[in-house]
Amino acid sequence: MIDFLLGPFIRNEFMARALAGGLLVSLSCAVVGTFVVLRGLAFIGDALSHGVLPGVAVALLFGLPGMVGAAAGSLAMILGIGYVTRRSSLSSDTAIGLLFVGMLALGVVIVSRSRSFSGDLVRILFGEVLGISWADVAGQAGAALAVSAVAAVCRRPFLLLCFSPEQADVSGFPAKRYHSIMLLMIALTVVVSFKTVGTLLVFGLLIAPAASAALFARKVGSMMLLALAFGATSVYLGLLASYRLNTAGGASIALAATLIFFALLESKRILARRRA
Amino acid sequence: MSSPNLIEARGLSAGYGGESILSGLDFSLRPGQTLALVGANGSGKTTLLKAIAGLLPPLAGELQVLGAAPLGSPSRVAYLGQFHPSGFALPLRVAEIVRMGRFSAHGLFGKLKKEDDEAVREAIAELGLADIADMPLNALSGGQRQRVFIAQALARRAELLLLDEPEANLDGTARATTRRLFDEAVSRGASAVIATHDIEAAAACDYTMLLARRLVAYGASAEVLRTEALLDTFGLVGRAEGDKLVVLGREHGHDCHE
Amino acid sequence: MRTRLRKAAAPLLVAALGFSIALAFGSCAGRAGTGKKTIVVTYSILGSVVKDLVGDRFELIVSIPNTLDPHEWEPSARDIETINRADLVVENGLGLEEGMGKALAQARKAGVEFFTASDHVLVRTVGKGEGLPSGDPDQEVGAQDPHLWTDPVTMEAIVDALADEIEAGFKVDLSARRADLDSRLEALDAEVAAQTAKLPEARRMLVTGHESMGYFAQRYGFKLVGAIVPSLSSQAESSAAELAALKALIAAKGVSVIFTEAGTSPAVAAALAREAKVEAVSLNTHALPEGGGYAEFIRGLASTITQSLAKGAPR
Repeated sequence: MIDFLLGPFIRNEFMARALAGGLLVSLSCAVVGTFVVLRGLAFIGDALSHGVLPGVAVALLFGLPGMVGAAAGSLAMILGIGYVTRRSSLSSDTAIGLLFVGMLALGVVIVSRSRSFSGDLVRILFGEVLGISWADVAGQAGAALAVSAVAAVCRRPFLLLCFSPEQADVSGFPAKRYHSIMLLMIALTVVVSFKTVGTLLVFGLLIAPAASAALFARKVGSMMLLALAFGATSVYLGLLASYRLNTAGGASIALAATLIFFALLESKRILARRRA
Repeated sequence: MSSPNLIEARGLSAGYGGESILSGLDFSLRPGQTLALVGANGSGKTTLLKAIAGLLPPLAGELQVLGAAPLGSPSRVAYLGQFHPSGFALPLRVAEIVRMGRFSAHGLFGKLKKEDDEAVREAIAELGLADIADMPLNALSGGQRQRVFIAQALARRAELLLLDEPEANLDGTARATTRRLFDEAVSRGASAVIATHDIEAAAACDYTMLLARRLVAYGASAEVLRTEALLDTFGLVGRAEGDKLVVLGREHGHDCHE
Repeated sequence: MRTRLRKAAAPLLVAALGFSIALAFGSCAGRAGTGKKTIVVTYSILGSVVKDLVGDRFELIVSIPNTLDPHEWEPSARDIETINRADLVVENGLGLEEGMGKALAQARKAGVEFFTASDHVLVRTVGKGEGLPSGDPDQEVGAQDPHLWTDPVTMEAIVDALADEIEAGFKVDLSARRADLDSRLEALDAEVAAQTAKLPEARRMLVTGHESMGYFAQRYGFKLVGAIVPSLSSQAESSAAELAALKALIAAKGVSVIFTEAGTSPAVAAALAREAKVEAVSLNTHALPEGGGYAEFIRGLASTITQSLAKGAPR
């Protein structure tokens, strides 16, 4: 039994590395994802992950590290969304949706000029969790630390923002400033997480564990802890499935996270009905 | 220029996106006084409240709150916005939400002390929320949520209360409780500006401002809340019969939508 | 309960992280060393030749399944584990196994023994006037071609170098098997040379799915006119401009057959064939034929090419 559950991780350094990296990513996603879910910013998380692809593609083109490009791409996306929402409030959904498509298409066009186009694209979109290096893990640890520190410092204005940006303003915490800080935190998390599960799926890892936690937790602190627990479980189950069932690593993790969410959603409904 | 007035406005113009909804307003408010803003939807009540709260920059004129620009002393002002039933409902506990009212007194790092917990507990008890203090906001009814928001505003123990239709969504008992609590706050020296549709509530305030995208009337409530002025404010056509107001119809094209 | 949870959380997290790191170091512990030593070869064609060389002396595992495109295939966790535990990994080199890049690099760093085939041969580079200038750095004159296996003589060089390495590293005697394999490869080379000699010079033009037949063309005197995907990898994409240029080139040189292979889009190939009024023939360049080994593979290549080109009428 123990061998079944832990064997692959004990015998293989790359599996242990993937687990360590995945756990750290879960930590960042738990902290940031909790605020994203509470504020209803899910679509921003999705947007940022679309911005990463062209950023990474351009970075690869110039021989720069992918992370640098990913960071630039998400920043460009933040500015793009800000620009679009300022210009038109009515059709901002349409405009933002087109911004996603544009960034994704731009990324694919840039990557398509590369010799290993299909492979590169797959690796960016779906991640390569089994190929994480210790340097990557260190980066993820740094990000988790940074994100946790910022969340601890800004916990009051963030909480107020979740409740009402107006109340944040009148309480002496400028909503715009803290909103920007939160966007930067989301961007940072997406940038360090996409290597694990890829840009298409990182959004799932950001949202699903936090959304699961929101089903049961009533305080921000407990929500983050639960999100961490669900995220870590998804990483572990995903990696184990990838090993035992020969499935893609990143996608298995994302699938585990979403399955956990829907299972919890259903059980909450059943519990509520039984109580009634 | 410091003055004992809590609010001081001269030639104030307020509005959104460069377009002014109200202009040329002159008024002031002293400690312990209450001002009612009365008008139809879109008449500028919310705009004016937001300007005083510091959420909208004045388009012209001067506005001083607590002797400085608006938002100068966040811990001394409480703003309660209009209730939106379809607003984003959090899964956070009632007690947590009310507790947020104490943040403005401590900034990012100041530690919350015993008196903060006191204020929160009191506010919860006074709004009759003690039984549901542990329940998440998104499991409450509209009326319960509004009481939570009022509790949060009260927990601030502010000198200046800015309330936008605080009694909407409340039943009779809750309404009476709310009114009593505001009265108590005022008797302790606070001031309030209340936007309301309710003529009775306005009558209970010291001063009333009638708004219809312009200043229809401003002065002591007893004088201002007269039939003709009210008709003008709401665009109604009618006549007074002793105590009662008989409404005959609506003025064409009066309704303004914000 | 909740505060207790919070207090337990921090040490729990540290423990979990420490656990994973401990797992990592623990995993350096030994591999099961019973029975035969393991040789992992990345793709099937090279695997077939290595199998011929070592016979049953070693356990041979091929990473990339035979019918899948070696430029594309990515290893699963189990596959990576197998690579990490091999006694010797035989790879092609020159970036053929694109999807395995990370896994191979990390295995190397972890100390696994590697043999890189391309280190021991005369590597062909893209020549001037070959194919289409596409601006792709891999199509620039001088880019190194990884498709070593299409030439039996190149394979012979690999066999010799590998035999030396295995004999030295594992203290076994492969001299008999090596000699036998060498002579078979030489005979195969002579056979193909004779077969292709029958084809007139004017017909010896190759348009393929991607630029994969370089070593064959070099050995047996064929001209590489162009490729649907103008790249040394099947993973690139052809642009509209490149396809149009290829069509023009086909007309100018009087090509009558285009060869498609693994990784070529069948739709694009069919459309090009229709428009250029040429025949599209499927050529097996990256996989062993069913039930066959290296010899059958080369013979299949040679006969498909010579027969198709002989048929087509000169234009």
